Amino acid sequence: MQGSDAVELVRPDTLEEALAAKAERPGAVPLAGGTDVMVELNYDHRRPEALVDLTRIAELATWSASGGHVRLGAGVPYTRLIDELGDTLPGLAMASRTVGSPQIRNRGTVGGNLGAASPAGDTHPVLLAAGAEIEVASVRGARRIPADTFYTGVKRNALAPDELITAVHVPSAAVPAEQFSKVGTRNAMVIAVCSFALVLRDGHVGAAIGSAAPTPRRVPDAEAFLAAELPWGTDAPLPDSLKRRFGELVAAATEPIDDVRGTAEYRTHALGVLARRTLTWAWDDHRGSVRACA
Amino acid sequence: MPGSVLGTEVRRVEDPELLRGEATYVDNLPIPGAAHIAFVRSPFAHAEITGIDTGEAEQADGVLAVYTAADLDLSPVRQLMVVNPDCVRMPLASERVRFVGDAVAAVVAETAAAAADAVELVDVDYEPLPVVADPEDALADDAPLQFPDLGSNIAAGERDEAGADILADADVVARARIENQRVAVVPMEGNAIAVEPGGGYLGGDYDLTIHVSTQMPHVAWQVAAKQFGMDADRIHLVTPHVGGAFGGKIGMIAEHQVVIAAVLRLDRPVKWVETRSENLQAMPHSRAQVQYAELGLKSDGTITGLHCNVIGDCGAYAGFGGGFALGPTRLMSQGVYRIPKISFGSIAALTNTTPTGAFRGAGRPEAAAMLERIIDVGAAELGMDPVELRRKNFLQPDQFPYETLVGATYDSGDYDLPLREALRAADYDELRKEQQRRVDAGETTLLGIGVSTYVEITGGGTSEFAAVEMADDGRATIKVGTSGHGQGHPTSFSMLASDALGIPLERIDFLQSDTAQVPRGGGTGGSRSLQIGGSAVREASELLVEKAKELAATKLEAAVEDIEVTGDGGLGVLGVPSATVSWAELATYAAENGTTLAADTDFTPDGASFPFGAHVSVVDVDTETGKVTPTRHIAVDDCGRVLNPLLVRGQQHGGAVQGISQALWEHYTYDEDGNPSTGTLADYLVPSAMEVPMLEASNTETDSPLNPLGAKGIGESATIGSTPAVQNAVVDAVKHLGVRHIDMPLTPQRVWQAIREAQNGAPADPWRDPPEAFATLPVREGPDPYADEAAV
Ligand SMILES: Cc1cc2nc3c(=O)[nH]c(=O)nc-3n(C[C@H](O)[C@H](O)[C@H](O)COP(=O)(O)OP(=O)(O)OC[C@H]3O[C@@H](n4cnc5c(N)ncnc54)[C@H](O)[C@@H]3O)c2cc1C
Repeated sequence: MQGSDAVELVRPDTLEEALAAKAERPGAVPLAGGTDVMVELNYDHRRPEALVDLTRIAELATWSASGGHVRLGAGVPYTRLIDELGDTLPGLAMASRTVGSPQIRNRGTVGGNLGAASPAGDTHPVLLAAGAEIEVASVRGARRIPADTFYTGVKRNALAPDELITAVHVPSAAVPAEQFSKVGTRNAMVIAVCSFALVLRDGHVGAAIGSAAPTPRRVPDAEAFLAAELPWGTDAPLPDSLKRRFGELVAAATEPIDDVRGTAEYRTHALGVLARRTLTWAWDDHRGSVRACA
Repeated sequence: MPGSVLGTEVRRVEDPELLRGEATYVDNLPIPGAAHIAFVRSPFAHAEITGIDTGEAEQADGVLAVYTAADLDLSPVRQLMVVNPDCVRMPLASERVRFVGDAVAAVVAETAAAAADAVELVDVDYEPLPVVADPEDALADDAPLQFPDLGSNIAAGERDEAGADILADADVVARARIENQRVAVVPMEGNAIAVEPGGGYLGGDYDLTIHVSTQMPHVAWQVAAKQFGMDADRIHLVTPHVGGAFGGKIGMIAEHQVVIAAVLRLDRPVKWVETRSENLQAMPHSRAQVQYAELGLKSDGTITGLHCNVIGDCGAYAGFGGGFALGPTRLMSQGVYRIPKISFGSIAALTNTTPTGAFRGAGRPEAAAMLERIIDVGAAELGMDPVELRRKNFLQPDQFPYETLVGATYDSGDYDLPLREALRAADYDELRKEQQRRVDAGETTLLGIGVSTYVEITGGGTSEFAAVEMADDGRATIKVGTSGHGQGHPTSFSMLASDALGIPLERIDFLQSDTAQVPRGGGTGGSRSLQIGGSAVREASELLVEKAKELAATKLEAAVEDIEVTGDGGLGVLGVPSATVSWAELATYAAENGTTLAADTDFTPDGASFPFGAHVSVVDVDTETGKVTPTRHIAVDDCGRVLNPLLVRGQQHGGAVQGISQALWEHYTYDEDGNPSTGTLADYLVPSAMEVPMLEASNTETDSPLNPLGAKGIGESATIGSTPAVQNAVVDAVKHLGVRHIDMPLTPQRVWQAIREAQNGAPADPWRDPPEAFATLPVREGPDPYADEAAV
C-alpha cells in the first residue's frame, strides 16, 4: 500500500459540473456532510482517488413542497429537516432527531444516509414506510427509484457508478400518523440495534424494519394484515390481539444477525415490541385526527 | 478574625483559564522544531515476530528515523506495582507480541502525518500463536501460555486455607459468579509527551526537558532518571494541564521511554500525542475481574462468613490491574459489615489483551460491587429487605478504630448515618409502594430500587511535600507535590493558606508539577491530595505564621505570644490596633535581616483513611425490551470534614457518572482471536449528558482522626458507591420474577434475556464452581504483602 498518495478534492459549484466529474471518474467518492466518509478515511477503510465535494451545490441543499409531496434535496442537513419539515414529514423528522448528536445532525444528510445504505441507517425505514422515491441523476439523465428497490445489499444501493442522488420525494403527511422507533444501547450517539417505522395513511399501511436484515426492508405481510384489519375512519382503540398479531408478523419478517450490538434473537423480539408500540402511537395519532374532523 | 473560608462554597479559581481555552496541554506547547513519533503496533494478539523490515519507511518523505527494539538499548518497562517480575515487558516488543496494540517499532518524522504514513511502510512478519483473551480460559490446563517459562498463565495467586469450610455454620448461603467487566479509562486527553534536549524552550541548565501528561510528575521524573541512568537533577520534568487521568496516567509507560530514547539519539525535540484509537488499545484498562462470592447467613440475616475466589485479569505482561485481586479487592472485602470469617482466594491471570492498571478506585470498586451484590442476593434468598439486611450487620460507631479480618484499620465510621440520609432523600418507603403498585397493575415498566453501602481506602501512608512562601509584594506562593488535574487543588489549597495567613485567595499563587519548582512529590492518586497534600499546605502555612510571628515580634517590639494574624493582610500585637505590620513589609524585613519568609514541610498521615457512604439508585426497567433508564441517583458520601462543598460535589458527580456508566454501558470486549470488538467510541459506550439522571449528591461528615483537616478522600468514593447501587436496582426491579443476578453492563439484551428465562420458569442460576486452579494456589502466609496497593 502506498502511504502518501494524496486524495484529489473536486469541488464543483453546480450539479452539472458534479455529474460531469462523476461521469469522468466513476471511482470518485461523493462527499456530503462527510460524517460517514471521513470516518472511513480516518480508519483507512477506503482511500479513494478523488472526493467530489457536493456542499457547494446550492440546489442540493433546498427543499420544496407541492401536490402532497416534499422534494427534499439530498444535501439538506438533518438539523434543517427537523426545524423546517417537522410537521410535514413527521416520521422522517422523528428518525432524524435520533441520528448521532447535534454536531452530526448539523452536517449529516439524508442523501448521505442513502449513499452509505447501511442496514442501520435511521432514515431508511421511514423512507420505505412512507413510499418515498429517490431521485438520482447522471449526465445521461435523471430517474426516480422507489425506496423499495433502492437498497440492494449490505451497504449497497441501486446507483450506477456515474450517478448522484439529487433528492428524495416523500409524500407529506396529511395526518401525522407516522412513527419511528429504535432500540439502542444508549440514548445519544448510538447506532440502532434495530429500528422500525410505521406510516398510516387513508387505508394505506407502510411498515419497515432497520438493522434486522441485510438491507432495510418493508414487511409486506404485516402491512397487508394491518391495512385489512384496522378500523379506518373510526376512533376506536385497537384490540391487544391485533397489536400482538402485527408484532408477530413483523418479527417473522426479520432476518437479523448476531453482532456486538445485539443478538439476532434479541433483534427479532425487540422489533415485535417496537411494532406493537409504534402501532399504538400511530393509531392514537389517527384517532386524534378522526376526532378533530368530527 | 472574620469567619473562616474553610467549609464554604468557594468557586474554583482555576476555571476562568480553562473556560477561556487558555489552558496549556502538551500538544499545544510552543516547542520549536518538534518532530513527531508514531508507533507500529501489532495487529495480532499473540504472535512471534520473525522479521522487521524498516527500509522502505526509512526512505519515506520526512522520516528522520525508524527504531525497533534492536536499535534502542532500553530497559524494561517499570509498572507502578510488580505482579510478577518474570513477566518482563520491553518498551518495543522484539520476539513476541502479546496483545493487539503492542508496540513493535517507532517512526520519527517531521510531521505527525508523515510519521503515520510511514508506519504503514514498516513490514513486520508475524507467526501467529494461539490466543487466550478470557481470564478463565487462561486458567485451563491446555491454555496457550504467554510466558511459557512460567508454566501457567497465573502471574500471581494465593488463597486462605479455610476455603468454603467457613460457611459450615450458615443456614443459607448466597452464591454468585459476578463479572466486574473490563473498562477503559477514556480521559478526554489521551497520553501525551514532548521531550526536548537540554533545557528546551523553558531554558535552564539541563540535559533533558520532559513535558508529560501525568498524574504523578515526580514519580515519572525519578523513573526516567533511573531508566536512562541519568542524574535526576539533570532532567527537568514539567506537567502542564492534564485533560483527565483517572488512574490511567501513572509512571513512565513504554511509549514515554521510546520518545526519550529518540530525543537522546536525534538531539532534537520529539513529541507523541496518542490518537483515540491508540488510547483505547494501549492505555491500561481496568476492573476486569471474575468473582465467585459465597455469603453465609443465619436465617435471621446475621452474616456468618464470606468466601471469595477472585480472578483479576492482568491482560498482557502481568499488568498491575490484575494484582488488585490479591491487594485492594481483598483488603476491602469485609466492607461495612461484621463478618466473623473471611476466606479469600486470588488469581492474577495473564491474557492476550491490553495490560490492566488503575482506574478510579483501583480494586476497591470491585470489592464493593462484589460484596454489595452478594448481600442483595442474600436478601432475596431470605426474603428480607436489602436495607434491613445491611443494617443488621453494620459495624457500629463505637467499634472504631476497627481492624478488619483482612488487615485494614478503619479510622472512623458511622455507616447508618449516610444510609439514613440517602433513604430519607430517596423517600424509600414511597418508592417501595410505587414498585409494588406497578407489579400489581401488571405494568411493563417496572421500578427498581438499589442500595449500596460502602467503605473504601484512601491516602495510604505516604508523605507529601508543601511549601508556602511570602514575597515582598505581599503575595504568597504555595508549592506542593500533589499534581491536580481538574480536582480543584488551586482553590482548596489556597483556601487553606488564606485561612492561615489571613490574606484573600487572589493574593495566593499556586505551583505544582514542575521538578524545578517543587523538589519532591507523590502526585495525585488514591484520593490522597487534600488529606495529605492539603494537610502539608496547612502545616507549612502554620510554620510560616510561626516564623512571621517571630519576625513581627522583633519588628514591633512585642512578645511573640502577643502577635496574631490580623485577618486583613498582616500581623499585629494583641490589643494594640495600631501596632501592625503587613505581610509585604514583613517579607521585606525578613530579606533585610538575611532570611526569607518561607516554610516547608513533609506531612505524613497516621495511616490510610476510610471514606464511606450510601447510594440509592432508582431505575425504570422496560420488561419488554430490557431497556434500563436510571431516573434518580442519590449519593450520600462521607469524606470526613468537607473543606469546599462545591469541589466535593464535583467529585461526587464525576465519580457517580463513571460508576453508573460501568453498571449500564461500558464494556471493553475482545473476540476469540483477541481483537478488540469495542475499540472505538462508537461501540465503547461512554455516557452523554442524555444518559445520566440528575444527581442528588450530599454528604455526612465523620471526621478522620488521622490528619489535621479531618478529611478523607472523595475522588473515587462515588464511583465505588454508585455501580452496585445501579446494578442492585436493576435486579431489584425483576427479582419477583425469580431473577437473582444479571452481569454488568446491564444492556437491554442481557436484562431482557434474564427476564425471559425467569418468565419461562428457568431463571439462570448465578452460580457455578470456580476454576480448579484456585485449589492449586499456595496458602497465604504472614502479613499481606499486597496491602500497600490500596494506595493507588
Ligand atoms: C458519531 C456518528 C454518529 C452517527 N450516528 C448515526 C445515527 O444515529 N444514525 C444514522 O443513521 N447514521 C449515523 N451516523 C452515520 C452518518 O452520520 C449518516 O449516515 C449520515 O446520514 C451521512 O450523511 P453525510 O451527509 O454526512 O454523508 P457522507 O459521509 O458525506 O456520505 C455518506 C455516503 O454517501 C455518499 N453520498 C453522499 N452524498 C451523496 C450523493 N448526493 N449522491 C451519491 N452518493 C452520496 C458518500 O459517497 C458516502 O458513500 C453517524 C456517524 C457518526 C460519525
